[in-house]
Amino acid sequence: VRRTLVLFAIMALCGLAANRSLAALQTRNTAGSLVDTTSPQIRLPGTIFVSQDGAIYAIAGTGVRRLPLPSGGEWIQPRALSDGTLLVIRRFNQYSDLYHVTTSGRVLARMSAGDQSIRNKTLQLDHWVLWPVVSPDGSSVYFATDSPKPAPGQSYEVDFSLWAAPLSVPLTIGGTGVGGGIRWSFPDRYTGGDIEPVPLPDGNLLYASYANTGKGTVVSVLGLQTGPGSAMVALTTPAQDCGAPAVAADGVTIAMVCTNRGQTASIEVATLVGTALSGAHVVVANCLCNSPSWSPSGDSLLYMNASDPDGNFGLWYIAKAGSAHPGAAKRVTDAGVNLDATSSAAWMTR
Amino acid sequence: MGRRPGRRRRASLKTGRQRVTKGSLIAAGFIVSILAGVFSYFLPAIQVALRDTGQVNTSLGGNPQLRPVSANENLSSSAPFNLLLLGSDSDAKFKGDYLTQSMILTRIDPATKRVTMLSIPRDLWVRLCNGSSGKIDQAFLHGGAQCAIQTVENDLKVHVDYYAWIGLQGLVSVLNDVGGVNVIANNPVMDDYYPADLSGGNPFDYQRILVLPGAQHMNGTLALEYVRARHDDAYGDFARSQRQQQILIALRAKTRHLSLVDIPNLATSLGADFQTNMSIVRVSGLLPIAGSVPLAAITQVVLLPPYTSSVHVNSQDALRPNWSLIRPEVAKFFGATT
Repeated sequence: VRRTLVLFAIMALCGLAANRSLAALQTRNTAGSLVDTTSPQIRLPGTIFVSQDGAIYAIAGTGVRRLPLPSGGEWIQPRALSDGTLLVIRRFNQYSDLYHVTTSGRVLARMSAGDQSIRNKTLQLDHWVLWPVVSPDGSSVYFATDSPKPAPGQSYEVDFSLWAAPLSVPLTIGGTGVGGGIRWSFPDRYTGGDIEPVPLPDGNLLYASYANTGKGTVVSVLGLQTGPGSAMVALTTPAQDCGAPAVAADGVTIAMVCTNRGQTASIEVATLVGTALSGAHVVVANCLCNSPSWSPSGDSLLYMNASDPDGNFGLWYIAKAGSAHPGAAKRVTDAGVNLDATSSAAWMTR
Repeated sequence: MGRRPGRRRRASLKTGRQRVTKGSLIAAGFIVSILAGVFSYFLPAIQVALRDTGQVNTSLGGNPQLRPVSANENLSSSAPFNLLLLGSDSDAKFKGDYLTQSMILTRIDPATKRVTMLSIPRDLWVRLCNGSSGKIDQAFLHGGAQCAIQTVENDLKVHVDYYAWIGLQGLVSVLNDVGGVNVIANNPVMDDYYPADLSGGNPFDYQRILVLPGAQHMNGTLALEYVRARHDDAYGDFARSQRQQQILIALRAKTRHLSLVDIPNLATSLGADFQTNMSIVRVSGLLPIAGSVPLAAITQVVLLPPYTSSVHVNSQDALRPNWSLIRPEVAKFFGATT
């Protein structure tokens, strides 16, 4: 009897093993965390800040550390300031805010209050503030916000426009605009609007502008304005569908992402001459890539690219990207690490 | 003199036969046990397959809209076929009376690995299966998948071989199960009046959503926001249709990594939020094909003007179809009905 029971038990185990073996063959879809798999593939000088799963990470040498920023919301879009601190966006479900933080993760200031609905319970009064960037002289912060917009219940319209405001004063974003700020752009309605501002050394503003073609599509062009509210000069064509501009330290070498209105993208580098681009050439072709940013010296390019077999977005690097003979693209982060592809990396010299 | 077989030899033969029998029984026991293990693994998929093909009519909570429709089983596995994809806001505010917010007629040619997707605008003003006129999204409300199929067949003059219906939570689940999708979001997708109907609170509440532009990884919830938002969009439902096709194309890339063993997990998480009349064999056969279809072999069609024009009818904003333009296109891509 005992032998028979043992036999039945072994049979049952075989059935269970068959079941679990099939389960083990299932496709796994797990992305690794940057900290857990620390070991950048290549060693780059200075410190690079990236966003992953709502946290900011610093990559320095062969180490990676997570900035201990307050919990709640998602910390995205880090921007390096010349004094060695960071501007960061803290995004919640209904709004986002601009923060000034140290590289050790200490909050120096909350610079906006997008959560207007906390007081009046009307969530349409909340605001987004995104894509912050400091002017070359360090005095102003440029950003995109969904202000102004129609009063709640009046319209569905909500589009980004570009503003500049003193860096030293907290932003007051309301339904009719930004208190003390200067409005730069007037978006094409119901397109998403104007985003990703880049103030240039000559005082002009470069950005990505979404426009209604009138033929069933909304496309992005790189736009240039010479002053607040001035007419936009399109630097690229609607067919190129370019956005995500990044300007190198020389103020004229521009990296951008173009999709040609397809389901893949390319990263192109061009030179800004006056109010036109020249010498555009592709440095990364046929990719799922986004968010280029330049090294402090302006010769190397970082970008997000989903090239590993699992489709995770990693940080990639190209040396001498602005030259006629750019280096080969190299992955900085481990395969399997999935970064926030809509947040460009911020690179500090120290 | 020959010897008669002795008692010992007979006993030996008997013992041998017993051993063979015993061994066979043990082997059979192991085989049955392993098969039981395999069967229990595929049980969720088998249950879904039986339910979907109408062999077991569970009717998914008694909702007559979701009764299975029998499929054409005469199609060979390599023959091109038309699949009507239906998507509904299946949240609590509809109490089971579902419209189809999304209708995508898809032609799949397994032999040439070509796919064509035609988004049928939900506001298209058509003759419904019951003879009345109304928006095409109401066909599902009037008579479930059967009525939706009949309406599409009658109005677009096309034959529908299969259908697949999915609810909101089902879409989120399947996208999460495959690990999310990578998409290039065309523009910032913003909506201050996006329905907050999946959070479990008041299904009539709103929430604000923002999907950033550019290449990115989307989980199920973010992808749902991307395909469902429409208020702050110059092209409203048309733009949403294009984004829905985009997610389907991204999902196709993910199916490269899927196999038969992934189906039970998908079936379990889809639960009552999915219905199709395709057999599990057909579905599993499609997975490798879907993954191998190149981007260039996918044709996307959206019925923008002049295929449709805005009209106000019966106090509703609707789209008037220009059948003289639409039907030749449908015949070209999907084959005409005989």
